[in-house]
Amino acid sequence: MHDDEPSLNIPSLLTLAVVSFFVLRWFFNRDDSPSTGGRPRGRGNVVDPAQVEQILQMFPQLSTREIMWDLQRNGGSVAATTERILAGRGLETPPPSFQPQVVMPANRPATQATSTTASTSKAGGQDLISRYNLSAKLASENAEAISATPSKNAWSQNKEERQRLLQKRRDEMILAARRKMMQKEQGNAQ
Amino acid sequence: MASSVAQKRLFHEYKNLSTNPPEGITAGPVSEDDMFYWEALIEGPGDTPFEGGVFAAELKFPKDYPLSPPTMKFVGGGVWHPNVYPNGTVCISILHPPGDDPNHYEHASERWSPIQSVEKILISVMSMLAEPNDESPANVEAAKMWRERRPEYEQKVRDEVRKGLGL
Repeated sequence: MHDDEPSLNIPSLLTLAVVSFFVLRWFFNRDDSPSTGGRPRGRGNVVDPAQVEQILQMFPQLSTREIMWDLQRNGGSVAATTERILAGRGLETPPPSFQPQVVMPANRPATQATSTTASTSKAGGQDLISRYNLSAKLASENAEAISATPSKNAWSQNKEERQRLLQKRRDEMILAARRKMMQKEQGNAQ
Repeated sequence: MASSVAQKRLFHEYKNLSTNPPEGITAGPVSEDDMFYWEALIEGPGDTPFEGGVFAAELKFPKDYPLSPPTMKFVGGGVWHPNVYPNGTVCISILHPPGDDPNHYEHASERWSPIQSVEKILISVMSMLAEPNDESPANVEAAKMWRERRPEYEQKVRDEVRKGLGL
């Protein structure tokens, strides 16, 4: 009879231990769960690795840290980060104190494969003077024989004006090169 | 939407290239009605047989630029160079998207990505003229000549340069 008591006690102790373990776990989980759920946004240092990967696939040159910093600051919007990169604004360098909690593997799967097929066209042996109709300008050039100051930094709010400025810079570049080449050859001949 | 991003970005690049052009480079759309078709002029780099020359090239941008790179092709006079196809198409790592490298000799950082730009392409092409990449000849004949008969190669380039300027 006395032998039975300890053997009855051990199973009941075990049961108590298991039950209390689950009760305690449930208790702490319930306490913890709101804070774990809020942590990614709240503390902001946890970034969804899938999002980072998604952006890395599009822009493999960017650093993971910069992507994470931007994602974290815009609340995890891949679209906003992509838009920002595409607009040419680039991503900010995160401050040294920024410690992202996700470590990304370094491999970057390459997905795109655009064919740079050579399209054949009628690119014959045409020189730049005839291509840009500069022969008329050449005649007047020779009369002046003065190097025009190149119109750099040309920009205008007006579309036609911009077009004209670009064409002018192009013409000047060709004519100046031609002039230089002729001078050089004259110099060599003498 | 994608094409409006591309247009915005191209306009932005056009403006930067106009207000702050890199030395020896002029580039812009042939007409602003089509921002996806540009023409560029590049000066031949100094101390090379291309010195003194001006080379015209057309740039065609895909609708999803800057996700995909443009294609670039020299027009007018041919450019005799190991990395330029006989029809003028330029073959250079920055014009290749990251996935498009069967030989794996190009670093991802050298290849196209949206953080590159037209300006960087043109500058890369300029330095390509000065230093051909012998590993991936687009013009096998020119590559062979460059490797084995350098003086002949240089003379041919100089002749092309003069012809290009209408001399």
